[in-house]
Amino acid sequence: MATKAGAKAGGTGRFSQDERRRDSDHVSFLKHKGFRWLWIALALCAASIAGYLMIDQDPRPNGGTWYGYTLGTIGFGLILWLSLLGVRKRRINPGVWSLKAWTSAHVYLGLALIVVGTLHTGFQIGWNVHTLAYVLMLLVIATGIYGVIVYATLPQSLSANRKEMTRAQMLDALTALDRQLESAAQPLARAESDLVIAALGQDVFYGSALARLTGSYPGCKTARALAGMGTGSEAEARVASLLEKRREQLAQIRGALRIRALLEIWLFIHIPLTIALIAALTAHVISVFYYW
Amino acid sequence: MAFLIRTIDFTAAGREIVRDRVVDQPRLTVGRAAENDIHLPDLAVEQRHVGIDLAADGTLGVRALGTLGFGLDGRVVTEGTIDPRTGGEIALGAARLAVTREADGNIAITIRQVIADEGKMDALRGFALASKLPSKRAMSWIFAAAIVLLLLALPIASHLLCTPAKPDPTGKTEGAVLMDSAWSSGELSLKHHSLENNCESCHVAAFESVQDETCLSCHKDIADHAQKPRLAKGMPPLSQGDALQWSIAEGFGKEGPLGCVACHSEHEGPVRTQAASEAFCGDCHKDLKTRLADTDLANAHDFGKDHPQFRPLYFASFGAAKPVRASAGTMPLERSGLVFPHDVHMNPRGGAARMAVSLAQYGAPLECKDCHAPTADKVTFKPVEMEQACEACHSLVSGRTAGGGFGKLRHGSVKNLAEDLARITSGPRPALAPSRQRPGQIGSASPYRADFGRPVRAYIGISNALSTGGVCTECHLPTRGPTGQADLMPVNFPERFLTGGYFSHAAHTKQKCSDCHAAETSKLASDLLMPDLKSCRTCHLGASAVKTAKIVPSDCAMCHAYHVPSGQWQGLKLIQPAAPHYKPPPPEKSKVAAKIARARP
Repeated sequence: MATKAGAKAGGTGRFSQDERRRDSDHVSFLKHKGFRWLWIALALCAASIAGYLMIDQDPRPNGGTWYGYTLGTIGFGLILWLSLLGVRKRRINPGVWSLKAWTSAHVYLGLALIVVGTLHTGFQIGWNVHTLAYVLMLLVIATGIYGVIVYATLPQSLSANRKEMTRAQMLDALTALDRQLESAAQPLARAESDLVIAALGQDVFYGSALARLTGSYPGCKTARALAGMGTGSEAEARVASLLEKRREQLAQIRGALRIRALLEIWLFIHIPLTIALIAALTAHVISVFYYW
Repeated sequence: MAFLIRTIDFTAAGREIVRDRVVDQPRLTVGRAAENDIHLPDLAVEQRHVGIDLAADGTLGVRALGTLGFGLDGRVVTEGTIDPRTGGEIALGAARLAVTREADGNIAITIRQVIADEGKMDALRGFALASKLPSKRAMSWIFAAAIVLLLLALPIASHLLCTPAKPDPTGKTEGAVLMDSAWSSGELSLKHHSLENNCESCHVAAFESVQDETCLSCHKDIADHAQKPRLAKGMPPLSQGDALQWSIAEGFGKEGPLGCVACHSEHEGPVRTQAASEAFCGDCHKDLKTRLADTDLANAHDFGKDHPQFRPLYFASFGAAKPVRASAGTMPLERSGLVFPHDVHMNPRGGAARMAVSLAQYGAPLECKDCHAPTADKVTFKPVEMEQACEACHSLVSGRTAGGGFGKLRHGSVKNLAEDLARITSGPRPALAPSRQRPGQIGSASPYRADFGRPVRAYIGISNALSTGGVCTECHLPTRGPTGQADLMPVNFPERFLTGGYFSHAAHTKQKCSDCHAAETSKLASDLLMPDLKSCRTCHLGASAVKTAKIVPSDCAMCHAYHVPSGQWQGLKLIQPAAPHYKPPPPEKSKVAAKIARARP
């Protein structure tokens, strides 16, 4: 529907719509300022590749030619700057260098590092501190790519899994079920009572990080109690149905845990490997000039 | 069906007070107002908050009466259903209303107050993955510390504290520095592979580029391309970028573009060092004369387009002490001291050919290889030796020996010749027949015999042999010695003709000799039969030429080496002006009679 402003801004097409959305500042960091940093990163890659192909590097391209040193310096500077995102995001302040711009640049310049770093190696790799730095850099970038992808896709399923419940409500629901189970289990015999005690006693966050990522909890006491609970008496049937509810509630919590783990796991590699990369880079640079 | 409403409260001492009452009606209201069936004195609860209706099927319909919702089994809703058989829990403010079915069929609603959960926010942390993994900070420190300690601090500390190992080309000495193999950016070249585990044999001092001095401590025999000042002067000026780069590098202790490592970069994998490219040579030699005006070298940068004419080494005058290089483009007359028409020997129908056919040794007309034998490496040729190459036809047989064989004149020295001739003329001559003695031979075998005649015959023999028409002058030029005695021109050939380059005959076996050497038409020994540039260029053009069945793109390194002697030049002696391989003996001052006396057996 063409408004006057819309007509002025170029009609009702995709562009003007995007423009309006951009004005509202709800645009993804990937699309920030019309993919500004994507274009800058592509230009950096294109210039690096063109230089690599056109400059005669004697005797063969590697990190030790003048072009190699240039690429290495650019790469080193980029890595240090990219790692400063962790500092920047903790400083909440307004300004031209918005956090969104930083994040956008972080992602695209980080991707450009694949090209810059690889050309810096001159495709010479081996079992040494130099290749260690290169491999760490690639791992950091790979986890970063994973992070961007899960940030773009998983939050939707996280909110779908929540079914309009907050995390606190999920835990409250479980507590409510537990109180009911406690009183419903009063008529049960010893063996069945023990099953209920075990189920109630198990931490809601039981399970390793791997269990969270895979969603597989073979040691779940609630599932065990449900399997061991008879359906003979009315009390047993009631406890069984409450256990079933408890299991469903746990499944929802564990679904949230799984999605959250998938969302967070990359940072547990990305951050420590970034610090390891800076250490390896330091060793790389110093060793190269120590044994020049 | 009735509702059993059970309220559980606590006294200040913590004792539990349970109050039961039964309400027999199908509908209950819950709220803060006193008129509600269940009265909850809690500000968080509305005056009339929730209505509970018993449905026909035994379930309870729970519905918010105002706009504010309520908690049902942990979830905030405004409407919901509870099946009393499985039960449910309604949360209103701090009160929890547990709905269960009693054994008598009544529905019990148990009301208890919960204490606000202090640890709730802590419990929420369990949702974060961080609760199950080691902290990022700890992992970062561990990884970074391990890398810095193992790959940086350890090699540097051991380098500073250890006595460095000596360079050992056998590879048996391992380096003393720990973990520095992790610093190697690639394997060493094939020739240096034995030094792989001994980094400090080349990397001597910290933060110092590998120095020429270190290279030369092993490569003692390597020669410079030219003297350093001349190299520097002959180099084209550096581009601004290169000049900047080198000024930075020299600031860090690199030895500039003329240092060893400027060309010989290492750690490029187990390969042989590649020969320099045509462009590398051309950088300086394309216009060397403009910078190095006094050089003898002509400009060159492409064998097919810009390369000076060959200037072979030759002896310009008879008996000269040193060979000279021909001027470019001239037809030099070689004064080797020999008489040798190649055409006569190579004519397949000529006398030489007939003679060769008749000899078992050849059995066919002469070919080049009958006289010119290649060296063991098949690269070049041995000097032609008279005894092997010529004597089958140009016989020096002088008569029969007493044992029934043939006696011959020794070749190679006029002194030997004189002795041999003297022996012929004065020695016993074989009998004509067993029964017939030659006159004057009586007692010739006796130690007491003496020849009192003048030694004229020996003189005549030598003089005949050495003068025109004599046996020696078939191949040699007669001359006179310093005291006027008959003598021969010394034979002079340079050991190699083209000394600035390197030519492998083995690589050219598909060619006939006469393709390059015009021996078939050469009538005189003074013809210098070295091929010229043009004949090479029928096949060899510069590195940029297109390779075809006939054309071989040829860069400089195919014939020239940078370090001399080095590389393919090793094994070939550096060409010194060669001493002639035949020299006339110095004239003796003693009397002729003494000579003759010594010549006697």
